[in-house]
Amino acid sequence: MLNKIISYYNGKLWRTLFLVCAGLLFAITLGSLMKIEVVNVLKQNIPLPLQLFYAELLGFISPGPRYIIYPILIKLQEFGINVGVIVALISGHVLIEPSTFFVEAGFFGLRFPIKRFAVSLIVTYMAGVITVFIGNFL
Amino acid sequence: MIHKLKKAGIDIKMGFLLIGISMILMLIFNINFSQLIASNLDIIIKIIYLTAIAMGISTAIHFLIPENFAEKHLHDSKLSHLFYATLLGVLTPGPVYAIYPIVIVLKKKGIQNPILVAFLTGQTIIGPARAPFEIGFFGLKFYIYRILLALIMGPIAALLFIFLSKFWPDKEKDY
Repeated sequence: MLNKIISYYNGKLWRTLFLVCAGLLFAITLGSLMKIEVVNVLKQNIPLPLQLFYAELLGFISPGPRYIIYPILIKLQEFGINVGVIVALISGHVLIEPSTFFVEAGFFGLRFPIKRFAVSLIVTYMAGVITVFIGNFL
Repeated sequence: MIHKLKKAGIDIKMGFLLIGISMILMLIFNINFSQLIASNLDIIIKIIYLTAIAMGISTAIHFLIPENFAEKHLHDSKLSHLFYATLLGVLTPGPVYAIYPIVIVLKKKGIQNPILVAFLTGQTIIGPARAPFEIGFFGLKFYIYRILLALIMGPIAALLFIFLSKFWPDKEKDY
């Protein structure tokens, strides 16, 4: 049994690590292009409700595994981005993405992912708004 | 080589795609690779270390929870079942691609689409394998809050799906 567990863990770890390292490279490359001045301009010029909307849309179209979003989120947090925007981005990144959209369309028909996209858009936005109000307690 | 890549899983292909995009970005914006790695070494080590822990949690759940656990506990679209479906999704580890075989089995067993939406929402938003990352980077309070948020978002997503389906019903596919 122990051998089975170790071999399962090993197989899963190396496969995941390849994807995580590739994703990490992408995230830190993207992160190096983010500058505090640009983030400050965005913060000042875009109202918070719209920031939430952009964050979830960015999350939806962002490729890669779930774990790679964290380096970008940490950088955004350091730049003083609202925690609601971070929650919208983190939730939007995983709820639906272009590749899973097509997988779902293949399995369940086109209406299923379209409706799930619409629903995800609403619930992610709600999550962001709730977090904006209670973010100070986190 | 190309033949091998064609045969590889979607995760491997996605990995190569991300490496390719990163290289293009580095060339366009003239980013120094070694400098990039050196300035982000702390976070790289932390993420690799946390991935190993996350895989440990994921392995433990794989061996502790039977494969037919979700099938056993999900039946129809009652509000309580939407909540259970979300909770089961939250507890189910693994990448989203690994979840679709489970979702298809559930669908074949006659489980309705809103339940599947709640399950997928819970599964994708948060999971046990994310605990080391979220607690490590944002703290325990943030992780607990995200779990609570996921448990609310799942049933709401399913209810909104039911509402939308009244105007635009799903076309049933043959399985």
